[in-house]
Amino acid sequence: MGLSTVHNVRYRGMATCVPKHKVSNLDCPPAKRAERERLTRNIGIYERRLCPGWQCFSDLAFEATEQLLAELEWQRDEIDALIVVTQSPDYLIPSTAIILQDRLGLSHATIAFDVNLGCSGYPFGLHLLGSMIAAGTVKKGLLLVGDRSGSVREPLFSDAGTVTALEFDASAPPMYFDLNSDGSGYRAIILPVGAHREPPRMQHFIPFKGEDGEWRTAYDLQLDGAAVLSFSTQRVPPAVKHLIGYAGVPEESIDFFLFHQANRMINETIRKKLGLPTEKVPSTLHDFGNTSSASIPVTMTVRIRDELLARPTRLLMCGFGIGLSWGTALVDIDGASFLPLIEA
Amino acid sequence: MATIGDFIEKFTTAVDFQDPVEITPDTVFADLAQWDSLAALGTIVMFDMEYGKTITGETLMSCRTINDLFALIG
Repeated sequence: MGLSTVHNVRYRGMATCVPKHKVSNLDCPPAKRAERERLTRNIGIYERRLCPGWQCFSDLAFEATEQLLAELEWQRDEIDALIVVTQSPDYLIPSTAIILQDRLGLSHATIAFDVNLGCSGYPFGLHLLGSMIAAGTVKKGLLLVGDRSGSVREPLFSDAGTVTALEFDASAPPMYFDLNSDGSGYRAIILPVGAHREPPRMQHFIPFKGEDGEWRTAYDLQLDGAAVLSFSTQRVPPAVKHLIGYAGVPEESIDFFLFHQANRMINETIRKKLGLPTEKVPSTLHDFGNTSSASIPVTMTVRIRDELLARPTRLLMCGFGIGLSWGTALVDIDGASFLPLIEA
Repeated sequence: MATIGDFIEKFTTAVDFQDPVEITPDTVFADLAQWDSLAALGTIVMFDMEYGKTITGETLMSCRTINDLFALIG
C-alpha cells in the first residue's frame, strides 16, 4: 500500500503523561564519568523518566486519557474505538486496550484492541484509527500510544504514555501517510525469548557478562546499533521526501518535522540529510530520551505545545524502528486541545 | 580528492575518543583501547555524511587498518 490519504478525520487533541521519577545518565561511579559523558554527548540523552515497579505504560496512558476526555468534554459512551499501540502491555494476553475499556468506563460497544508496534507506531496508529473513522464505522476514537521500555541498566529508553483523540469531521483537511515494513530486519531490535518461538526457561534468567563488561540476561532487549543506524539514516530521508511529493504541498509550508527520538547520532544525520534547520526539528532527547512510539507526541507536548495552540500548524511526523517498520504522516492541526505535560 | 590525512582527521572526530590517541594509516583501529560500538557508529555516520558512502557494520569490521577504511571511499 505505502501511500494513502485519509479524509474527514479531525485531530481533536492529545495529552502526554510521564513518570515523575527522573534518572540522570551522568549518575554513575566517578571512574566511569568520562566514558559516560562521551556516551551521553553522542546519544544526546541526559535525563530519562522511569516508571517505579508498580507503574505500567497503561497507568500513564490512563491518566492522560482521563484528563483529555475531561478537557474535550467527551462522554464515555461516545467513544467508539480505543486502540492501544504498545510493546509493554499489562499482560502478554489479553489486550491492554480491553482492560482500559473497562477501567475508563467506556461502553461495551467500544472496539478495543492492541497493536504491537514500537518506535514507528504513531503514524501507523493515526492511520488505523483514522481509516476506521473515515470509513464511517467510528465517530470518536482514542489512540493510546507509548511504552515502558526504560531501565537503569541502559541509557537510551524512557517511559511515556500518550492519548490522541480523533473525530469524524467532513470539513477536516486530509491526512497523508506513507507506511512501510521490512521484516528481513526483525533481528535488529528483538526480545528473543519469552514468547512462543523460544518459550520461557530457567536458563534465560541466568546473567552473563557481555563484551562491554555489563551483566545481561536473555530477557534484555537486543539491539544491533549499526543495523538500526543504517536502516534509519537510509530509509527515513527518502520516505519523508516521498510523502511530501505525494501530498503535493510545498516543503516550506510544513511548520515542524517531528521525528521519532532515537538518539542524537541518528536524528542529526536524518536532519542534515534532509537539509532541515534545527528550529523546524524539535527534539526531546536531552530530557526524555527515547520514548519509543510516544516520542512524537511527547515532543509535541514538551516542545511545540504553544505553537500548536496558537495557530493552524502543518506537521510532518516520522516514526521508525523495531520491525523493521517506518511510517510518515502529514497532518494539519487546527483548534485542537493540547494538555500541558502530565506527571504521574 | 580525499587525502589520508584529511580522512584521519575526520575519523578522529567521528570516534570522539576521550583521550587523544595518535592514529596513522597503519593503525589497527579495532585494537585501539577506546574503540567501541559508539566509535563504530560514529565511523559509519562519517562515511555517510562526509563521503556519501553507505557502509554496514560488517563492512566496517572486515577492515583492519585505517588504510583499509580509507580504501572504502573508492
